[in-house]
Amino acid sequence: MRRREEGSRLMNSILNWLDHRTGYRTLLHEALNEPIPGGAKWKYVWGSTLTFVFAVQVITGFFLWSAYSPSTLTAWESVYYIQNVMSYGWLVRGIHHFAAQAMMILLGLHFMQVIIAGAYRAPREVNFWLGLVLMQIVLGLSLTGYLLPWDQKGYYATKVATNIVGVTPVIGPQLQQIAQGGTSYGHHTLTRFFALHAGVFPALLVGFLALHIYVFRRHGITVSKSDETKPAGSFWPDQVLMDAVACLGVLATILFFTVWKGAELTGPADSSEAYSAARPEWYFLFLFRFLKIEAVDELGLAFGALYVPGAIMGVIALMPFIGHWKLGHRFNIAFTFALLAGASFLTAIALKEDAADKNYQAAVKAAEFEGHRAAELAKEFGIPPTGALSLLKEDARIQGPKLFARHCASCHRYNGHNGLEQVRMKEVEENGHKTKVEEPATAADIGRFGSREWIKEVLTNYHATFESLKNAGEKGGKFLDGEMAGWVKENADTLKKSENADSLKSLVEFLVAQGGRKELQPFDPALVATGKEIFKTGKLASGSFTTNCSDCHALKPADGSESLGDGAGPGYPTLTGYASHQWLTDFVKNPAHDSFYGSDHNLMPAFESKLSDQDLKQLIDWMVGDYFRSK
Amino acid sequence: MEPSSSLPTEKTAPRRSFLAAAGSILIGGLITLTPLVTGIGFFLDPLLRRRAPFKGGDADGFLAVTNLSDLPEDGTPLRFVLRADKVDAWNEFKDQSIGTVYLRKLPGNQIVAFNDTCPHLGCKVDYQEDSKTFLCPCHASAFELDGKPMNKIPPRRLDTLESKTDPDGKVWIKYQDFQCGVEKKGAV
Repeated sequence: MRRREEGSRLMNSILNWLDHRTGYRTLLHEALNEPIPGGAKWKYVWGSTLTFVFAVQVITGFFLWSAYSPSTLTAWESVYYIQNVMSYGWLVRGIHHFAAQAMMILLGLHFMQVIIAGAYRAPREVNFWLGLVLMQIVLGLSLTGYLLPWDQKGYYATKVATNIVGVTPVIGPQLQQIAQGGTSYGHHTLTRFFALHAGVFPALLVGFLALHIYVFRRHGITVSKSDETKPAGSFWPDQVLMDAVACLGVLATILFFTVWKGAELTGPADSSEAYSAARPEWYFLFLFRFLKIEAVDELGLAFGALYVPGAIMGVIALMPFIGHWKLGHRFNIAFTFALLAGASFLTAIALKEDAADKNYQAAVKAAEFEGHRAAELAKEFGIPPTGALSLLKEDARIQGPKLFARHCASCHRYNGHNGLEQVRMKEVEENGHKTKVEEPATAADIGRFGSREWIKEVLTNYHATFESLKNAGEKGGKFLDGEMAGWVKENADTLKKSENADSLKSLVEFLVAQGGRKELQPFDPALVATGKEIFKTGKLASGSFTTNCSDCHALKPADGSESLGDGAGPGYPTLTGYASHQWLTDFVKNPAHDSFYGSDHNLMPAFESKLSDQDLKQLIDWMVGDYFRSK
Repeated sequence: MEPSSSLPTEKTAPRRSFLAAAGSILIGGLITLTPLVTGIGFFLDPLLRRRAPFKGGDADGFLAVTNLSDLPEDGTPLRFVLRADKVDAWNEFKDQSIGTVYLRKLPGNQIVAFNDTCPHLGCKVDYQEDSKTFLCPCHASAFELDGKPMNKIPPRRLDTLESKTDPDGKVWIKYQDFQCGVEKKGAV
């Protein structure tokens, strides 16, 4: 007992010593014993939650800073490393990412509360304006932070913003170049944005927030008329508890999204690659949609992106004066709600349009995949000094579909799409209306080319495999009425007989083994041997072919054995190494070659001079499935 | 807003007030500590996660350095550069110098390999041909040919590295760095 007394006496004397020298008790008293007429209320929490989230951003921001490297060759790379490799990196970055979005919502709620309560009116005008300054700083933080990961999403969204700066009258181009650190994006865009994001804006925010809170305390909280006469509560502990609980709710929400969704990182920024999934972050979606309205578009970018938002900010800044007039306060409230409704409406339209746009959805999926793939490659191979982008540039899994979409998809399809899971559309006139319809393919869907299913389909249902050729004019029609088509017509029924199921399987196995593709292995040696006999003799378990395969097609088996035939010449494709990397490469280079379709029958352009060797290799690597796969 | 109006509340509900204060402190502490503790965990990543400084070598991490026949018969130490794929955080640099070693061939084709980093404070020691000693240019640590310290400056002998010779006569070294400034040799 005596011990405890002594302890508390010692503690007291230390605190007294400290208070004499710092005056902390008065400070605490000042800070905590703010009277709140009418008592603590939930609707007063928004300012505190904003301050709290800012503190969270300062804390997590510092730690992210300790691992982030601002240059075009290291920004994405260091963020990838934070997100995927470093201890708790996903958590720290996730909190920072979602807290930034929470700040936008809280900013909106705080603003609404101020407007509804009339807290902008005399004598609080200056504090209202300080709040508006803080709002601009938060927007600046959000804009600059979005670019820092240097991923496709942030890169293209920020480009829009700096291009908007560029249309400012008179000094636009100069402003843009100052922001970018040059005429285009590069190292200095990142170093500048980072200096603003981690240095200038947070410092400004701390300064203005201190002023904002100081002026707020000077006038006290704005309470409703009815509360003015009620007994006052105190900031400590009642309002503090409510604030703390609200902050806890905000933090829980941030953590929920961090765990559920995680902070996104799309593929590394690539100025040479169109990014069809480009959209601003959700809280700017309304502005994006606003600029797309035709009437707005016609008035010029500066009108929609600068004058209108500027005018709106102008009206908001004048609200304290408008509030002096009779009905002024009501106008302010109505204006705020109209803004909210308009923004919500535009956001809803934008979301609805995007949800209905399959090609946009495919682009979003592709962008997510690219980020995932880049991370997967980085983990496996490490990132070369030329940056993570070069990993993607050399990856057949990423480049193959793009090359297919660019060079092949005007005629072919890949499992029904253009390689990138998009559908090619064309505009047609229907009863005087222009509508978009799916563009019909004029050549085969080669998504499964060379696989067992493909070969089986060609042998038993030739017409269905090459049906699209009916859209390819006279030569396409000829193809569908050609000798192979005729052969299948004559032999499909025999092949499809249940007694011949094993024979068909064997022939398919033999042909697929000729390509020797890794992804289709292993090949059943017994089936391959039987298939080889069928190819040569045409004898099936029940019946036989009208014409042997080897009568028309030259084939030197992959097992190194004797050639099964010399073929019937041009127009009868050689099947040696059918569908292998080499066969496909030779075919794509020149399908009119005598060992393939021959110049009389061929419809497909030769790509020998249209594709570089590297492009061709990546395209074929992808088609035959020859690329890195994670276990 | 008269201060007196707050008095009745305090008097009538001291218990409620205490609970509110305790709750505030508890929740306030929790929400502040969450980002802080997470961030500190992140900052301690170097301690929480082992990282290999390089990739390459055989299954046991040995790197081929030179041929046994290229080492002088009289036991004179020669300095060699070890090459491997250097790993630096997210980057991987192909075929880089990752460290240097001194190799000596003793009678019976025995190999002695020294990490040429001085165990005192990490400068690189140089072999002095005339005095047949290893000398550190920073604080004058000196070592005999067998790595024994010749003065009181270094805390321990030069650090030896594991080595092996394959049937083709190639010398392999397992490269490691060690903690400087302490008596006990321990890998970092």
